[in-house]
Amino acid sequence: MTGPGLEFTPESAKPFLQEVMERSGQKLTACYQCRRCAAGCTVGDETGFFTPNILIRNVILGDRETALSNPLVWKCVSCYTCGTRCPNDIQTARITETLKKMAKEAHIDPLQPKVAAFHDSFLESGLRWGRVNEMELMGVYECRNILRDARDGNYDAIIDELKGQARLGMAMFKLKRMHTGFMMAKGRKEIKALYKKAKQRRQAPAGMNP
Amino acid sequence: MEIAYYPGCSLKQSSALYDLQSRRIFSELGVALKEIEDWNCCGATSAGKVDDFLAMAMPARNIGIAEAAGYQEIVIPCSACYSRTLVAQQRLADDARLKAEVNTGFAKKMNGGIKVSSILEVLIARIEAGALKPKLRRKFRRLKPVCYYGCMQTRFPYTVPVPDDVENPQGMETVLGALGVKAIDWNHKTFCCGASAAVNDPETSLNLMGRIMTEAIDRGANCFVATCPMCQLNLDAHQDAFCRRIGIEERLPVFFITEVIGAAMGISPESLQVDRHFIDGTTLLKELDGDER
Ligand code: SF4
Ligand code: SF4
Repeated sequence: MTGPGLEFTPESAKPFLQEVMERSGQKLTACYQCRRCAAGCTVGDETGFFTPNILIRNVILGDRETALSNPLVWKCVSCYTCGTRCPNDIQTARITETLKKMAKEAHIDPLQPKVAAFHDSFLESGLRWGRVNEMELMGVYECRNILRDARDGNYDAIIDELKGQARLGMAMFKLKRMHTGFMMAKGRKEIKALYKKAKQRRQAPAGMNP
Repeated sequence: MEIAYYPGCSLKQSSALYDLQSRRIFSELGVALKEIEDWNCCGATSAGKVDDFLAMAMPARNIGIAEAAGYQEIVIPCSACYSRTLVAQQRLADDARLKAEVNTGFAKKMNGGIKVSSILEVLIARIEAGALKPKLRRKFRRLKPVCYYGCMQTRFPYTVPVPDDVENPQGMETVLGALGVKAIDWNHKTFCCGASAAVNDPETSLNLMGRIMTEAIDRGANCFVATCPMCQLNLDAHQDAFCRRIGIEERLPVFFITEVIGAAMGISPESLQVDRHFIDGTTLLKELDGDER
């Protein structure tokens, strides 16, 4: 059996690999393809067996396109099973998390737009008020989905999504598991100010870092 | 005895019952939970996916508040909050620069010396101190639970000191054992339920939960016991959906560990708010009510 030949250009592969390693804090070059991660990956069935070792190989070979857009990056549930079992301590969840951020920065449409919308909405909500208000979070998240679906003309998807959420919401309301009060933490100002400073520092040209 | 307490967002909202139960059970065991002042969201799993700096800074502020109030230990019942806080404390201990950077923004600087405990650690310590036994009123001989830990209670994205076995944890089994309940051994105790995927990728999440349910039924369990509010809500609220997909007729209540302890103490399921579950758990607890010690 023969497969397509693998291409490898060190000049372009290296900076990409370096960036993923630095940002994820994972030493991808330590991977020796033993596939222990593959054997236990929770979402193996969901990704069509696009397993952590394959993702790592893609990054090492500098296949940026595949690395930034594949089922594992968007289906990984950050369960840390692969990383706990990896003989070289490689946490693939940290790699998929990093690649999500890099995909966003490169304006690549997420394969699972709802996953991206959810995490963005969650963090925004936590940052805005200091605490996550579940009702507000779900509202913001669904608005994102509706806007996207409307842009793409997926009106059926909008209706399905709203129906499903309304059903769950009603059930939660009946069981008194819906909280109508609003929560805030005063300290959100401290975190917001810190975040702003950290962002500015990151964007400052090299050499300007304190 | 007083310890600092971080409830986190879900224990103040959809899982408010877990907050109420934790306070009640710990007060029975002689521990007053002191909610830390003006705590903020820990960032949960989303922070790590969107911004790494925030994933450290958000829990760090809470640690600083608890330390400034003079506590030695903080208990965090939610597994996600527990994991984020434990990881942030360790990472900042290993990275002095980052720690100094986050501390510039806080009124209450974080030192990083506080013990971050899961609910199981504190429960087991109280059991070992002999605080549970005199409180027990019932023995649930016919309760056949499988203990469901999920991910965040046992596995971490960073090397942190862990109190239990990573692949085969025993904390919940130990607590149940002290109540006279024998938990059933099974393979899916640390298998992922999908967490927020239940909202943003239901296809994946329902498949995963279906696998968890299938084994629980095969092993003859009559309920789940959990410590994580996200796991509890997922297995409970979506149980009809994932069971229908795979043709399972049975339904299993998903108890918080605090509900089983409370029931063994003779506290009524209603006052523990067990009636706020999607899958009825009150009936099973009442059926077993005859099991006097
Ligand atoms: S378990 Fe670790 S070393 Fe083995 S293939 Fe997976 S990432 Fe590579
Ligand atoms: S962390 Fe992601 S890649 Fe690793 S086992 Fe879990 S789902 Fe698979």
